Amino acid sequence: MRLLHSFTSSLLLAGAWTINAASSWSFEDATLTVQGKGAGVGAGAKEKLNPASSLPKSVTLGATDSLKLLLTTTDGKKAKRPHQAFLTLTDPTTGLEESFVLNVKESGKGKVDLTHKDLPVQFLTTSKPVPASIVIGSFGSSAPYKSKVFDLNIARDANVPLAIPEPPTRYAAEKEIHHIFRTDPKSPPKIITIVFAAGVIAALPVLLGVWATLGANVSHLSKALGNAPISHALFFGSVLAMEGIFFLYYTSWNLFQTLPAASVVGTVAFLSGSRALSEVQERRLAGQR
Amino acid sequence: MRWLFASLLLALLGAVQAISYTGGRLLVVLEEQSEREKYTAFFGDLESRGFHLTVESPKSESLSLFKHGARAYDHLLLLPAKSKGLGPALTANLLLDFMRSEGNILLALSSDHATPTAVQSLLLEVDIQIPSDKGALVVDHFNYDEKSAADKHDVLLLPFPQGLKTGVKNYFAGEGVIAVPKAVGQVLGNDSPLLAPVLRAPSTAYSYNPKDEADIVEEPFAVGGQLNLVSSLQAHNSARLTVLGSAEILQNAWFAEKATIKGKAVTTANRDFAAKVSEWTFKETGVLKVGKLVHYPDEGVSKKLNSSLAIPENNPKIYRIKSDVNFQVEVSEYSLTHLTPYKPAFGDHVQLEFSMLSPFQRLNLAPISQTANSTIFGVSFKTPDQHGIFNFRINYQRPFLTNVDEKRQVTVRHFAHDEWPRSWQISGAWVWIGGIWVTVAGWVAFVALWLWSKPAEGSLKKTQ
Repeated sequence: MRLLHSFTSSLLLAGAWTINAASSWSFEDATLTVQGKGAGVGAGAKEKLNPASSLPKSVTLGATDSLKLLLTTTDGKKAKRPHQAFLTLTDPTTGLEESFVLNVKESGKGKVDLTHKDLPVQFLTTSKPVPASIVIGSFGSSAPYKSKVFDLNIARDANVPLAIPEPPTRYAAEKEIHHIFRTDPKSPPKIITIVFAAGVIAALPVLLGVWATLGANVSHLSKALGNAPISHALFFGSVLAMEGIFFLYYTSWNLFQTLPAASVVGTVAFLSGSRALSEVQERRLAGQR
Repeated sequence: MRWLFASLLLALLGAVQAISYTGGRLLVVLEEQSEREKYTAFFGDLESRGFHLTVESPKSESLSLFKHGARAYDHLLLLPAKSKGLGPALTANLLLDFMRSEGNILLALSSDHATPTAVQSLLLEVDIQIPSDKGALVVDHFNYDEKSAADKHDVLLLPFPQGLKTGVKNYFAGEGVIAVPKAVGQVLGNDSPLLAPVLRAPSTAYSYNPKDEADIVEEPFAVGGQLNLVSSLQAHNSARLTVLGSAEILQNAWFAEKATIKGKAVTTANRDFAAKVSEWTFKETGVLKVGKLVHYPDEGVSKKLNSSLAIPENNPKIYRIKSDVNFQVEVSEYSLTHLTPYKPAFGDHVQLEFSMLSPFQRLNLAPISQTANSTIFGVSFKTPDQHGIFNFRINYQRPFLTNVDEKRQVTVRHFAHDEWPRSWQISGAWVWIGGIWVTVAGWVAFVALWLWSKPAEGSLKKTQ
C-alpha cells in the first residue's frame, strides 16, 4: 500500500508540469475485490481494472459477497478529485441504470462498496451479466471518461425468496381475454343409440305377436259396428285423434292450440265411449266375451 | 329536429375553436412585465396558433382562475417568479381545482429563482419531486454546450426524445438538438400511471447544488435517466400538467441559438420543442374523440357504420347467450386544427371489453375502415354462455392520450324454450322417443283388442 501511495505521489509530482487544458479524465490503480462474508481481509478474488478495456471475464457477486472498488482518478496524468465519479450499472434488457457514487478523497483515491442490499430488485432478477461502467467527469475543459470496465454477474441464492414488489400500474394494452365456453352436451355414439332404439321398436311386433298367439283378434268388429256404428267409430276415432293431437303438440302446436282440441276430442270420447262400452257390456252379458 | 340543432351547434363550435380542442383562453402568469421581452417569440407562436393570451402578474388584484364558479381560462402558463409566494389567486388548491375543472397547466421552473411554495405543494400533490434546495440544477459533463457553458456544463444539449416505449405515441419527436439551460430536475413517483416523462436527462447527468461547498457530488438528488428535464401528468379527467425544468427553453435567447457540442457547431431547435410541448399541454395534439358505438347481431350481413350524427346508434338492447355479435366504434384524434383518423402506435390496440363486473371477453379491435376524420374499429365475437347485464366497454387509457371510457349496456338472456334443439335432433334421445311411440301404438292396439276381440275358443273352454 505504501508503495502504491509513493507511486501515486511520484505521479503527482511528475504530472505537475502538465497543462490542465485539453487533458482528459481517467483512472489508474484500480482494483476490484469480491469478498465473501467472514473471509479475512484480502482473501477474495482480486482483479486489476484497465481504463482502456473491459475485463475479459465477468465478475460474480454472490448473495453474501461484497464488492469493493478502489481506484485513483486522474486528470491527464495527475491524480485529481473530480466532481462526478460514478460506478454505473446498466440492465442490458430494460436499460435501467443505477449509479453508485464513488467516495473520492482530495488525493483522487476513490472507493465504493457494493452488496446485494444496494442493488435494485431488477438487477437481482436479471439472468444476464450487468455491464458496469465508470463515469468520471468534472467542470472545466477536461474530457470526461465513461467506459465499461467489467461485467457484473449477480448470483443469487435460489433458496432465499426475493421480495419482488408488484409492478406498478402502467396504461397499456392488456392481454386479450377469450371467454372459455362450457362444453356442449354430448350424445353417445349413434350406432349404440340405433341398436337400442331398434330394440325398443322391436318390442311392438313382439307384443302384437304374443297377443296373437294368445288368440287376440278383432272378429267382433263387424258385430260392434252393426250394433252401435256411430259410437264405436267415434270412440276409436277420438282415441286416435287424441294421439294425433299429442303428435302435433310435440312437433308444432303450442298449449293454447292443444287444449281446446284435446277438450273437444275428450268430450267426444266421453260421450261416444259410454255408448260403445255399453255395447261391449251387452256382449258380455250375452256371454259373447 | 333536435339532432339538426345539435349538429349545427357542433359545426359552429368547430368553426370557433379552430385551435385547441378545449378552447383558446390562455393565462400567462409573469411577475415582471419586463420579462415579457424574453418570451416574445414563444408568445407570438402561441398567438399565431389561435390562443388568446392574457398576461397577468401574480400580484395583480384582478387575477382569478375562476369567474362565477367556472374556469375563466382554458390553459395556464406559469412562468417562474422571483417572489416566494404566488399570492392568494394561485394557491396549490386553486391550481388543483383548475385542473379538476379540466384546465391545463404548463409550469416552467427555474433554478435561478426559488420554486414558489404553491408550486411545490402542487408538485407534491401529483407525486413529482424536485430538489428542495434553491438553485439545484442539472449538469452533464458529456452533453453540454461548449460555447455558453464551457466551464459550468449546465446547459445541456439533447436530441429530441424518443418514444417512451413501444406502444406509446411520441408527440415530442423532432429534428435537431434541444438546449436545456440550468434545469431543475424532476423525479416522478413510480406508483402513478398518470405521470410520464417527456424529456429525460442523459445517463451521465446528475442534479447538484452549486452553492454546496463540497467539490465532489456525494449525495446527488437523482442521476441519469431517473432525472427528468420535462415531465408530464395527465389526470383522470384528461387535464394536463407539464413541468418544464427550465423556463429558458421557452426564451427567445435559446430558440435558435448557435451552440457547440463535442466540437460540433449546432443550432438549437428549442422553438420546435417548445411548440411540441405546448401543443400537447394545451390539447392541440393527443386528444381522442369517440364517435358512434354500434353493435348488432351477426346474421351473416356486415353493416356499414354510418358516422353521421343524424342517425342514432339504434343498438339492440338484448342479446341471447352464445350468439354472434358485431361491434364497431369510431375513434378520431384531434391534430392541431382538425379531427383525423386515429391510428394507434405500433404494438398498441384499442380494446373492447364485454364485461359483467369483470370482462368476459377482451378483444383487440382492428381498423376496418376510415372516414375523412375517423377510423372505424371493429370486431365480431360470440356472447359468453352466461346471462346477465353486460357492457360493451371501450376503456382506452394510454400515456399522452386523453382518456376514453365509453360503455353501452345490454341484457344477455338465456335460450328461450323454443330456441333449444328439438329432441329428434339429439341422437341420444332416439331411444326414448321410440319408446313413447311404441307405447302409443301399443295402447291403440290394446284399445282395439279390448273393444272388438272375440274370446278364443281354447281359453274359453279352460275358464268354463
